[in-house]
Amino acid sequence: MVAMQAEQEQYSFEIVKWFAYMAVVYLVIGTGIGVYIASELAWPVLNFDNPYLSFGRLRPLHTNTVIFAFGGSTLMATSYYIVQRTSGVRLWSDKLAWFSFWGWNLVILGFAITLPMGLTQSKEYAEMEWPLDILLAVVWLAYSFNFIMTLSIRKVSHIYVANWFFLAMMIMITYLHVINSLAIPVSLFKSYSIFAGVQDAMIQWWWGHNAVGFFLTAGFLGIMYYFVPKQANRPIYSYRLSVIHFWALTFGYVWLGAHHLQYTALPDWTGSLGAAISLAMIIPSWGGAINGMFTLSGAWDKLRTDYILRFLIVSLAFYAMSTFEGPVMASKTVNALSHYTDWTIGHVHSGALGWVAMVSIGAIYHMVERLWGTTMYSIKLVNLHFWMATIGTAVYITAMWVAGIMQGLMWRAYDDYGNLAYTFVESVAQLHPYYAMRAAGGLIFFLGACVMLFNVTVTIRKAIANPSAKMAVAANI
Amino acid sequence: MTKFQEYFHTDWSGMTGTDWFGFLLTVFVFIVMVVVYFWALNPKNKDSIESHRSMLMDEDERKSEKEDGRE
Repeated sequence: MVAMQAEQEQYSFEIVKWFAYMAVVYLVIGTGIGVYIASELAWPVLNFDNPYLSFGRLRPLHTNTVIFAFGGSTLMATSYYIVQRTSGVRLWSDKLAWFSFWGWNLVILGFAITLPMGLTQSKEYAEMEWPLDILLAVVWLAYSFNFIMTLSIRKVSHIYVANWFFLAMMIMITYLHVINSLAIPVSLFKSYSIFAGVQDAMIQWWWGHNAVGFFLTAGFLGIMYYFVPKQANRPIYSYRLSVIHFWALTFGYVWLGAHHLQYTALPDWTGSLGAAISLAMIIPSWGGAINGMFTLSGAWDKLRTDYILRFLIVSLAFYAMSTFEGPVMASKTVNALSHYTDWTIGHVHSGALGWVAMVSIGAIYHMVERLWGTTMYSIKLVNLHFWMATIGTAVYITAMWVAGIMQGLMWRAYDDYGNLAYTFVESVAQLHPYYAMRAAGGLIFFLGACVMLFNVTVTIRKAIANPSAKMAVAANI
Repeated sequence: MTKFQEYFHTDWSGMTGTDWFGFLLTVFVFIVMVVVYFWALNPKNKDSIESHRSMLMDEDERKSEKEDGRE
């Protein structure tokens, strides 16, 4: 307990606590909005003829909340936590850290207001209008600068691989966000992209896929490389593999965006290049997943009792699965069937729910125990959450796989005379049961997130009300 | 010209300064990547790279109650 107090004084953990708790809150809000819009697609009456509740306006609110609010808060909590512990120093600037916290939450408040009002740049995963884009860039730079300066004053000579993944994320997201958001403002909340036509599409997907590659993959791999060994209490399986994983991912990911634009006005070779590099990326991605999983070599029995470790290891299984599925979908033959269908939605959610959310949840549970010097209020509820998250994800992605492949097959079915065999409306009607199934899967995942919020809140309240040395020892602090 | 050659045909005279910059940068980055792979996979470097494996475990040792004698 004394050691824990010393740690709290040695490091800036207050900021980590706030980001971690807000991440859980945003997980509930983001998935809650997701369940609502999924239900709108199954039962359109839920639109209530209200533009502010329409799918078109709430969908970007859902994606921005889960990516930037939940994902961003998780990344900031974990990166601030990891860089301090692996460098043996406090954050370079507490003030800059708090600026990043309040600034990030101001960005979230900004898009929560503007997106339902229909104020959007209409760029996927970059819908915010220009004032919020600038604010986001300033906050991101402040966060990155603080992280880099903390590394510069470290007391340990080696920079642990997790920090390399965070650095790649910070550098690339700055570059991608600024270029993709270049626009000419015509009023306070209206601007036009400086790019046009197919160039605009290429820039958009260069950003779009690298938001996945560097924000939702590199950053979360940083989380994986720290929290899997820590929770398993074993060194990473192969440090050499982690080095190769890092450089291959960093060099390769930037080329993938064009695979989103197969069979469009984009030059054919560009799509082929995107597909070829996508297939090559299976190797580092699987190398990373195997590296994480093999960390448990000789200690697989820990999965029977350690529910937090289950989240982390299952997230790696989903990471391996979605990084195989993605390149397959990028190939032109499969893309001809999958593009514009719900298969894409299924693929995104196997990565978002199965990989990003699961690894985040495992990391947050781990940090809550360490930061508040306690054990979780209810391990049974952690276990319940694990099964709800796993089953919810499985139901969701299965529904979307079936729906998407069915959609693709119906759209390209011809009769003997060369006419389309089905109208578009017929394909929509066929989707209804799968849309209902998707909403159910999302609801299960959302309720699991609510269980987590309850469990984390009670754990923190009890730890604050009754700090106990016995509990701290139990938490291995 | 075969279909294969046609697919990879490049109009070098039509390359702009931006094209050349991107092309050379890409080739340079690719070479760096290959060098990194050789460096990481060279058996001579195995021990020095793998020595960082247990860095997180050492972190616990450094901060443990046993080691700092606070308890």
